[in-house]
Amino acid sequence: MKEIIFENICKSYGKTKVVNNLNLTIKEGERLVLLGPSGCGKSTILRIIAGLEDITSGKLYMNDDCVNDVPSGDRNVAMVFQNYALFPHMTVEDNITYGLKVHKVPKEEVKKRLEAALEMLKLKGLENRKPKDLSGGQRQRVALARAVVKKSDFFLLDEPLSNLDAQLRGHARKELVKIHETCGQTFVYVTHDQVEAMTVGDRVALMNEGTLQMIDTPHNVYNKPANVFTAKFIGAPSTNIFPVDYLDGKIALGNQNLILPQMWINKIVDSGCKNLYFGIRPEHINFSRIEIDNAFKGFVKYIEDYGNRFGIYIEVEGNEIIAMCDKNQLKSGDIVYFSPDFTKIHLFDRNTTMSIGYPEEL
Amino acid sequence: MQNKEKRINNILGEKFTAYLFILPSLLALAVFMFWPLIRTIYLSFFSWNMIKPTKTFVGIDNYVNLFKDPLTYKVMGNTALYIIILLILNCVAPYIMSFILSMVIKKGKGFYKSVIFLPSVISLVVGSILYLWILNPISGPAAIIAKFFGLTLPIWSKTDGLVILVISLITTWKIFGYNFIVVLSGVSGISSEIIEAAKLDKVPLHRIFMDIVLPMSSATGIYVFIMTIVQGLQYVFTPIKVITQGGPDNASSNAIYNAYQEAFVLYRTGNASAFAIVTMILFVILLVLEFKYVERGVYYEN
Amino acid sequence: MKIKFTSELKWHIILILFIIVSLFPIVFAISSSFKTLNEAYSNVFGIIPNSPTINNYTEVFTRLPFFKITINTFSIAACVTLFKTITALFAAYSFVYFDFKYKNIIYFFLISTIFIPFTVTMIPNYLTISKLNLNDNLLGVILPQLSDATGIFLIRQAIRGVPPSLIEVAKLEKIGHLRIIKDILVPLVKPAIISTGIMFFINSWNEYVWPVLILKSKENFTLPLALQLFISSEGGTDFTIAMAVSVVTMIIPLVLYIIFQKYIINTFASSGIKG
Repeated sequence: MKEIIFENICKSYGKTKVVNNLNLTIKEGERLVLLGPSGCGKSTILRIIAGLEDITSGKLYMNDDCVNDVPSGDRNVAMVFQNYALFPHMTVEDNITYGLKVHKVPKEEVKKRLEAALEMLKLKGLENRKPKDLSGGQRQRVALARAVVKKSDFFLLDEPLSNLDAQLRGHARKELVKIHETCGQTFVYVTHDQVEAMTVGDRVALMNEGTLQMIDTPHNVYNKPANVFTAKFIGAPSTNIFPVDYLDGKIALGNQNLILPQMWINKIVDSGCKNLYFGIRPEHINFSRIEIDNAFKGFVKYIEDYGNRFGIYIEVEGNEIIAMCDKNQLKSGDIVYFSPDFTKIHLFDRNTTMSIGYPEEL
Repeated sequence: MQNKEKRINNILGEKFTAYLFILPSLLALAVFMFWPLIRTIYLSFFSWNMIKPTKTFVGIDNYVNLFKDPLTYKVMGNTALYIIILLILNCVAPYIMSFILSMVIKKGKGFYKSVIFLPSVISLVVGSILYLWILNPISGPAAIIAKFFGLTLPIWSKTDGLVILVISLITTWKIFGYNFIVVLSGVSGISSEIIEAAKLDKVPLHRIFMDIVLPMSSATGIYVFIMTIVQGLQYVFTPIKVITQGGPDNASSNAIYNAYQEAFVLYRTGNASAFAIVTMILFVILLVLEFKYVERGVYYEN
Repeated sequence: MKIKFTSELKWHIILILFIIVSLFPIVFAISSSFKTLNEAYSNVFGIIPNSPTINNYTEVFTRLPFFKITINTFSIAACVTLFKTITALFAAYSFVYFDFKYKNIIYFFLISTIFIPFTVTMIPNYLTISKLNLNDNLLGVILPQLSDATGIFLIRQAIRGVPPSLIEVAKLEKIGHLRIIKDILVPLVKPAIISTGIMFFINSWNEYVWPVLILKSKENFTLPLALQLFISSEGGTDFTIAMAVSVVTMIIPLVLYIIFQKYIINTFASSGIKG
């Protein structure tokens, strides 16, 4: 199977652990996105696959073989670097075909692949230009072309869009997905941009400080985060997280209580946790100035106007919570009552920060 | 910079190729630099004239005699004088000049750089001969100019002190250009905004030089300082050999020339080796100082 | 504005004076070499000779095997340059892109060679060359000059300026080291290689110390040695011929410098920034 399997992989630079006991399977033909903040280890993981970094401990399997000691050139991997890494002294055509020519691929085959790549990436007419005479977007496409002509099993992309202007990015994202669908290889894609991760990936692997936080479809990563970090990282503005305690069917926040629906009570009792983190996304909060049943009470700290929506900052029992709405009639200092949409809450064990799970009904 | 280095280093892992690539350079250095170093240390404990089939072991006698011999102190004194003059002419002067070229001069920088560096590519033997004639106290151009002002040039090649000055001047002619270019790059590396801010504050030029330029280019400065001493003392060998052969009566000899003289004129390899080793130890002390200051502490330009 | 101009002007004048003084010997040598001995004494400051002559140059050829001497100088410089530049390139490549045991120790030793004065190595090297029967032989002059670490520093500095991702791309394409060096690295660090090579050549061309120890017979001399034959402490009667020899000795380095000066100056400007 053309899979990549990480088995207990650790990577350290001296005393600093950069990748912490990673266990991960990348399935054949999928688009896997490695997402996370700076320094989380995602680029290191990519480079480990490419063989550009040594593995401190653990085993890496590609195509069912352990490749720990296999040199980069033998791993059948193509990579697109963040800064494109085009040879400045070679033309576009030479850049793309250099690897093929060195390995004495027959001329007709080289031509065929070159033409296909130029066509796919809309680079026709630029063959004889040098990188310095290309725009950022064109250089990126040349880097992609170089990787595409290799026809390798695995295609690694290290933040390929981060050096492009924002407007180009949306378009480039779609092109990348199209390339994947045309070529069919396994894509491993590193980014720090959530939107990219959620739109490009079949699955998203979220990393933080060298540890894998969650790997699942974008939908699940968004709607059923496995831990507090995931809940807070995914989505903007961030999920509200505050500490609560469970007692007798209610969750207590300071002096206030909220009655939970039975499905959640069952879940909490099953988990055996009493001290929890309560998570709710800003867009899933109902609030009003009039008192409503089974709600928390707080006051408005301030209001942000995003143009199409409003962010209401509410203070309750010493915690700050953000709620989102389309229209706003509140002002700073107002008392406000708010309650969550109970089908969209997230509960985490306060000791482990792990999710206690979701009721079957959801 | 450190992480980038690590990235670069991890790229290629074949140890054999690594060693193979450095082999030729290392081999040349091993045979003609490191092995001789050991051998010279060895020879310094013997008395030998390079021809006799057997050497006589004398222990540390050579070193003891070295420190007892008044000639040693004369030569070391000369060496100190050489160092001082060379530093003033080739460390201080280039600094001032590069400061002017980068801060004050607006046009023609490239021209000046090219021309100032030019003498550095010319053989020091040529330089010696040219200056030997130009400074000829009787019929050289300098003498003629002096006569015009009613002065006569002293016979510098026979005058203590003056001979060192002239030889230093000749050596300066060659090494000034190189030092100048190096210092210039250090000085120009200082962000112009800092200088402009100082000018806006009406800081006088010489204060800008002392308080801003000097400290901020100190890594380069120290490099040039050390190079001037280490290389400069070796460079002066050529004019000494060509013009005065150390004379008159070792007045122009220095640590380097004296070792040469002991070895290839007097055939006292033991003395020569001991002297050379002592000289090198002096240089090593400089190396330690350089690592101390350049590798830490001192302001590091990009 | 006016004040600024004159202040800058005064520095220009000082610099121009400096340049005149520093270039005067060269101009003087060239002009004297075309003068007869009489005119050299009588018309000391005339730049263009009144009765120019090439006698000085032709005289040299009768007194010495001058053509051979020039060829000697050139061959030695060429061999030394070729060897040192190529080995420096490979060594620098190894230091930048490989990780091997003792790398830092070896590099430290490389740096420390700067602090070894030639007086420490001259006796054993002389003995080595004698033992190999290379006294008075061009090879005897070439060999010791090959031990020089400065090229490695300069080229290493330049290589470190190349983005590592370019080499990583090549590694992923399974491109061998020799190809990487030839197709990717050399084109990108050409200026550093050229200027290092030029400086090696010029320094070897001008080298005096080692040839004077090794070479004995005139037909094996190099130009700087030949030049010394025309010296006596008082200047002496052969001075215009000495000027001619000086000019020939100066020509090649000057020409190389004029052609490659941009490269040379840029490379040496960065050598002071130790890394």
